[in-house]
Amino acid sequence: MFVSAYSTISHQASFQRHGFSAKLTALSAPSEVVHPDYASLIPPMYRRRMTDVLKMSIACTMDCLAQVSVEQPGAIIVGTSMGCSTFTQRFLDKIYAARQGGRISPTSFILSTHNSIAGQISLLLGNHNYNMTHTQNSVSFEQGLMDAMLHLKDGLDNVLAGGADEAINALYNIHTRLGVENIHPSSGASFFLLTAEAKASPTVAVIDVESHGLISDAPSLISTFLQTNHLSESEIDLVLYASSFRTQVSELTALFQAEQLFDYQSISGSYLTNSAFAMAYGVDILHQGDFPFRDRQIRRILICNQVIPENIGLILLEAKTG
Amino acid sequence: MDIFVTSIGLVSAAGNGIEENLLSLQSGRTGIQQSEPSGLMLGEVLMSNASIVSSYQLPPADYSRTTLLGIVAATEAWGSSRTVDSSLRTGIVSSTSVGGLDRMEAYYFEGKRANHQQTHPMMTHDNGGTTEHIARALGISGHIGTISTACSSGANAIMQGARMILANKLDRVLVGGVDPLAHFNINGFRSLGIYDPAHCRPFDASRSGLNLGEGAAYLVLENAESMKRMASQPICRLTGWNNSTDAYHQTASSANGKGAALAMERALKKADLTPSAIDYLNAHGTGTRNNDLSESMAIRRIFGDQIPPFSSTKAFTGHTLAAAGAIEAVYCVLAIEHGSIFPNLNFATAMEETALIPATRSLNGQRLQHVLSNSFGFGGNCSSLIFSNL
Repeated sequence: MFVSAYSTISHQASFQRHGFSAKLTALSAPSEVVHPDYASLIPPMYRRRMTDVLKMSIACTMDCLAQVSVEQPGAIIVGTSMGCSTFTQRFLDKIYAARQGGRISPTSFILSTHNSIAGQISLLLGNHNYNMTHTQNSVSFEQGLMDAMLHLKDGLDNVLAGGADEAINALYNIHTRLGVENIHPSSGASFFLLTAEAKASPTVAVIDVESHGLISDAPSLISTFLQTNHLSESEIDLVLYASSFRTQVSELTALFQAEQLFDYQSISGSYLTNSAFAMAYGVDILHQGDFPFRDRQIRRILICNQVIPENIGLILLEAKTG
Repeated sequence: MDIFVTSIGLVSAAGNGIEENLLSLQSGRTGIQQSEPSGLMLGEVLMSNASIVSSYQLPPADYSRTTLLGIVAATEAWGSSRTVDSSLRTGIVSSTSVGGLDRMEAYYFEGKRANHQQTHPMMTHDNGGTTEHIARALGISGHIGTISTACSSGANAIMQGARMILANKLDRVLVGGVDPLAHFNINGFRSLGIYDPAHCRPFDASRSGLNLGEGAAYLVLENAESMKRMASQPICRLTGWNNSTDAYHQTASSANGKGAALAMERALKKADLTPSAIDYLNAHGTGTRNNDLSESMAIRRIFGDQIPPFSSTKAFTGHTLAAAGAIEAVYCVLAIEHGSIFPNLNFATAMEETALIPATRSLNGQRLQHVLSNSFGFGGNCSSLIFSNL
């Protein structure tokens, strides 16, 4: 499975700036999404009522399709943990306001469902194909990516897959579960156009993806994942990891050298589908071939997402030439 | 490779468990009644959260009703003896649209009343967390997934699990869906103005809306190797599935039922069947003007003049949203197992546009080889599943 296009909106200048991985730095203070000018990307009648998670997702979609001149993806797959949080909260406010009776406008209800991201993309494109939404908290994106991989094996092509979430004030305390008080809740969307054949050279292949829930032994799952792909730990040039607990870093240092490890969450900020950002970041690094934070050539990247410690997402990326 | 359905579990307004549901379906007994104090016609599961926690001996926690209804149906499907054999690759793919919203709204409103932003329980909104609770209660870990595509979610979770087995990623998987009644969805559908103040009348010319319901249903899907090792008995096979998109409107279905027709057509292709092979069709049939017309047009488009016996069972359970596709899939499995065609309650007059007449009497002793189930949701999300006799 090849990544023929990638697009990401984050709290740093990443949208339509391929090569961004060399320029981004660790987020230190609370920050905001660096939004592109949506006017050129989303028709006004759609844009008007959209909240961040919808706008970001659609902008990334349009960018991906434009990069490879594909009009209709063979499938549209979205991973989102919290979905359309803003509309959900807005509708709760409306219910509360109308608690003594009175009519409630349905607009925020109909856009509050998790699948309104994928649904709005299909509407905008007039796309009648497979349309799926995975919502497994911190591994929602990995579940979607697995779905995409199965479809490519089944003969579908040009599969659009992405991960997106938006932070809202009322959700900030979810981060207590993540144990990341020092990392600020963030938002982001990252989308990919995935193909069975490489559309350009050099390119990046997604070699494998897995996710596991309610785990007890992350290191053995990581080792097994690498063995399945005939690799040893030392053959991984860079491990992009996200973790919040010191114990997990020590789990990783038991397998990898310190210079192999890099915490992607310091760049993306904290949200439950930030492994999609990690994939865009990883693809971008592989396109450059090097990474300013490490003095080595990067050909193979493992994304190791334990944003929620009892769940693990593993994505293996490899640069391909010729 | 064959994908076998080896066990099922279900809780709905039409009954707690498979036996009660089957009895209700065969005897035409609806579970929908007027609910107090709202006065709405609802398909409620008559079990309190506290009674589920106590009868399933769950450790004390702030459970969402999504988790609890899920545990009731999943436990019935999974059985008490199915301890996880670690050599079999086992997983769960559930689905929900409400997730932990019932807990979240309770705390949110409480916080508003107290004039402060009560935020902590927002994390129970996480859909995937409800699936993890269900998995934990059954001793399942590893592949844990949750689908959320509104009212087609249950069918999509079943499809997802089947694809994981077919791709040789899993040997057996518990699949299904759950949604409880909550202020959020009750008010949501109220805001859309699509409630029938009386019993819903799917496919009837005079239909005026849906009745909301709650429930959960799960199926165990296994490959041949898993069945051998678990010594499980097959009930039927899952042979066809498809998800397609209407791409017409966020909530309304297209007048010609394009997405629905594509889903049925592609599911038939997947199962390598012609439309004439379908012996019973369990329709989405919510009872709204829009859905039933659109679905009727799609059924006409696929089946022409050879319409198989069909019915919507929503008048038994209410529209249970993400659970609907799973509940109706289990009803299809029961139809094959018992040779039954379940009646479409409250139907009197065919709609002018398509003149479709659903089955209105319970039929038993039929030989049903292939059965098709439709589920459609917001976002133009259309799914069809085909179950086949052994």
